[in-house]
Amino acid sequence: MIETVLLGLILIVPLIWALGVLGALQRGALAATAAAREAGLDAARATDAASADRAVVAAVATAFRNQGLDPKEARVRWTVGSRFARGAAVEVEVRWPVTVLQAPLLGEVSGPSVWVEARHVARVDLYRSRP
Amino acid sequence: MLNRKHSPAGQFGSAAVESIFAMVFIIVLLLGVVQVAFVLYARNVVAASAHEGARAIVERGSRSDDAASVALATVRGSAGGLVDDLRVGVDLQGENAGAVTVVVSGRVKSFGPVPFPIPLTSTATSTREVGLP
Repeated sequence: MIETVLLGLILIVPLIWALGVLGALQRGALAATAAAREAGLDAARATDAASADRAVVAAVATAFRNQGLDPKEARVRWTVGSRFARGAAVEVEVRWPVTVLQAPLLGEVSGPSVWVEARHVARVDLYRSRP
Repeated sequence: MLNRKHSPAGQFGSAAVESIFAMVFIIVLLLGVVQVAFVLYARNVVAASAHEGARAIVERGSRSDDAASVALATVRGSAGGLVDDLRVGVDLQGENAGAVTVVVSGRVKSFGPVPFPIPLTSTATSTREVGLP
């Protein structure tokens, strides 16, 4: 009986670890997707490139905080076409590292990580009034 | 026959009984693992639904009903009946400007070794464009 219980416990440990990683991956993917979408839409509503940059940083930080994640670890890259003008496409790419060595309730330790990535393209309104 | 001859009296079938106890213990553990998985999934769905609700207000207008209906539809569409007692709170912070905050709370149904529903709450904030109605 003891052997069976021990074997069961040993088999369950990697299962719990896998669950924690999968949950973190899903959370990271949701946060990255939300961050990219929010950032793209906010950047497309900005009046110039500088304010768009500020809007992207703020939107990404808010989206990650909403999911309970630290936005400092996120990698954000955004580009706009030839110039920031009506009809231009704003592309935002957000990447987030999910640490593999972690478990539910125990937290995570430094080690290898899997990067989740999300991208969103928003277009500046063609008929938007601009300064 | 040979085993029976050498087995101490009163211990026939003890291995089977012990196996059953061990199996019950392991099944309870496995159910606990499954419940942890469902709670993790439900937490992510509730967080995403709060964000979808906040986004709905920004995209569709300033009605809090929009946020509530979108958030509830997101949870029901993604988690089915896993989360019940859903409540959606919306804070618009003024008429025309500022942040939109949506709070979604609910309880994950219990079906494993944890005998009570597990509460979940998630908050999402989105910014509205200044000056839009």
